[in-house]
Amino acid sequence: MATLREWIFTTDHKKVGILYLIGSIAAFGVAGIMALLMRAELSAPGPTLTDNPTDYNVWLYFHGAAMILGFQIPALTGFLANFLVPLQIGAKDVAFPRLNALSVWLFYAGIILALMTFIIPDPPDVMWTGYPPYSEISVGNTAFYSFTVLLLGFASILGGVNFLTTITFMRAPGLGWNKLNIFTWSTFAAFILQLIFVPVLGTAVTMIMFDKYLGTHFFTPDQGGDVLIYQNLFWFYSHPAVYVILLPFIGIVFDIVATFARNRVFNYKMVVYGGMGGIVLLAGEVWIHHLYVTGMPDWLRVGQMVTTLLISVPVGLLFIGLVGTLYKGSIELKTPMLYAVSVIFLMLIGGLTGIPLAMTALDIHVSDSYFIVGHFHYVMAVSGTFAIFGGVYYLYPKMTGRMYNETIGKISFWISFVGVNIIFFPMMMAGLAGMPRRYWDYSQFEGLEGYHQIMSVGAALIGIGFFLALINWIQALFTGEKAPDNPWGSRSLEWTTTSPPGHGNWPEIPKIAPEWHPYGYGEDAPDPVGGGSLSPAAARERER
Amino acid sequence: MSSDTTAAHGHAEEVSVWPLVISAGILFALPFAFALQFVYHNGLMAALSLGLGVPMIVLGIVGWTREAIGTAGPAEGLTPPAMGWFILAEALIFLSFFATYWVLRLSSPAWPPEGTPEMPILLPAIMTVVLVSSSFTIHWAEERAEKGDRNGFLKWLLISMGLGVAFLAMSATEWSHLIHEGFVPGSNVYSTSFFSITGFHGAHVVVGLGIFVAMLIPALRGTLSDGLIRSGSMYWHFVDIIWLFVVSQVYYW
Repeated sequence: MATLREWIFTTDHKKVGILYLIGSIAAFGVAGIMALLMRAELSAPGPTLTDNPTDYNVWLYFHGAAMILGFQIPALTGFLANFLVPLQIGAKDVAFPRLNALSVWLFYAGIILALMTFIIPDPPDVMWTGYPPYSEISVGNTAFYSFTVLLLGFASILGGVNFLTTITFMRAPGLGWNKLNIFTWSTFAAFILQLIFVPVLGTAVTMIMFDKYLGTHFFTPDQGGDVLIYQNLFWFYSHPAVYVILLPFIGIVFDIVATFARNRVFNYKMVVYGGMGGIVLLAGEVWIHHLYVTGMPDWLRVGQMVTTLLISVPVGLLFIGLVGTLYKGSIELKTPMLYAVSVIFLMLIGGLTGIPLAMTALDIHVSDSYFIVGHFHYVMAVSGTFAIFGGVYYLYPKMTGRMYNETIGKISFWISFVGVNIIFFPMMMAGLAGMPRRYWDYSQFEGLEGYHQIMSVGAALIGIGFFLALINWIQALFTGEKAPDNPWGSRSLEWTTTSPPGHGNWPEIPKIAPEWHPYGYGEDAPDPVGGGSLSPAAARERER
Repeated sequence: MSSDTTAAHGHAEEVSVWPLVISAGILFALPFAFALQFVYHNGLMAALSLGLGVPMIVLGIVGWTREAIGTAGPAEGLTPPAMGWFILAEALIFLSFFATYWVLRLSSPAWPPEGTPEMPILLPAIMTVVLVSSSFTIHWAEERAEKGDRNGFLKWLLISMGLGVAFLAMSATEWSHLIHEGFVPGSNVYSTSFFSITGFHGAHVVVGLGIFVAMLIPALRGTLSDGLIRSGSMYWHFVDIIWLFVVSQVYYW
């Protein structure tokens, strides 16, 4: 084991990736506890856990902000991208290792700032959206909200600069663009989105801070400012942020599905150029659908409805690719595969409920209801989280050199899978029955108690499921069996090195055989590393 | 102290303390100092936090630069494309400010809004000339560096730095003049946009000058780092182009 000093001051992409994982799982844990607190509060009408609505607002703030900015984006574009991309492109490290270390520590600075919510007086209570005018008149510390966003955003931008350069220039000799893993492609696409859109969010939250603390008038209507500008800037980032999450999580799901179905990725070029390329092109043209009810001319609503519906086409291409990869595959339902397949299912529910939401006529009625909350939890929150968990299980042997416990893995999967459906399906029904979002007390509404009680049970189940997964990972660190270099029999490049890979990943940069493909499953599939220079791992495998 | 290698897994482990130092410095210098001053109104603690954070950032950048000079890896040639991606992100910051400004201005019942003094006309023109010429001088510096002419490079780099400093000085004069006339960030929507946009642009000039210093130090010692020079010059051209938008949209429109 490396010393503590080597971990803290490391510039190695694998260690940086694992540091991202630890930080984002910590954020996930605390944000998950906030969700449990909210569900406990809502388990009965009237005040239950607390008499102070601001407490509920603070939980809601932390749950949203930390889950999206502290958990999902860092886990996908921080942990998975860092650990996996250099291994998948056959590079010794990223282009700028020190910059990478700066990214991860800026991310930790953001996490620390977010966690200080619980110890500072007047914590931020502005949801993850920070809408003015409330965020500018609340007594809460909006500055910490803004700076959390800025630090995490800056970490993302540095990561984007690093990874786009790495993927473009540091691929192993012979590894053409059409031989990249889907996950590497998805990282490339996600970071292009981050570079374009994160600065806009950063600017928006900076303006909030200027308004509140330096007296400027960007969003103060009585002085000629306009709150709608904030909503536009915010969603100009935050809608594409959904794709920043979606692209890498669908990317890792593709890799897991291809590995455990022993099958090529169905229509690789359609998935990459049509699916991912289409999402990148359309991502910036749909944000106004978050503003349907805040007032806009009808022609703009119709235009936004069309672009929003249009984005279901590239997403549909990704689905076709996933299902086509499963078709006639030789499927093995190990824990990572269970998570990956469940993502297809959960995202289908989330995606299909999203299509009616794109329609202005329906959206105006269910806006700000639990239907929206249920929809985005299915399509982004739960699908993304399940993909991240699947990814951690998938890479666990490569990261640690040990195997996790398959039985506990499957049990924890099924508990959380049942849990998420028990909470989020009734949540959509409660929304249609009239439950508005963000309320801490629903005693003024009739007949919603049943839904809320079912949801609270589901929340408890998810808590247990995820806690079991965490226990599994920690326990396997010490007691897990030693993992082979390629436990899943994958064709992909990252499995040709040792588990865990040493510094520099391979003794020398692998040379890629011309006929190799990361998804080339079949009888006569060639080794990734051609030209007689077998990696030590592959050579050892061969001797057996 | 900075960079050393340890044998582990049979490979050299590379470590660097500076990323952590810079991140911690940023945490103290920005969020903590800002919140202590403006949210909790504790000026003393804010000053302490700033006094802790800023030296950490400076120390971190100095240590990082020294470490990087010794160990120019494969990344050296990749700095310019990386700078290109970074400039894309930077451009979007300015686009957001400009978009906000345009919306505020076009939806305003009267322009300029009440409380706006007479804006200077001559000074921004001089500032434009100064900044545009610095783009030429840094280009010439880059050309000299490509030919390996260290003295020529140093000469044009120093001239560019002088022009940059002159620009900042004029900008500061103008700000203080306007503030004396009672035109402060909180005056109206025009002052809000004016001070944010020129302020952010000025901050970029400062960063550009910082990159120039990072180019200057190794050059004085006798090494010309090609990737850094090319990307620093790219960044400066970008700052220059943004100024053309600032001057045309915020001053003369």
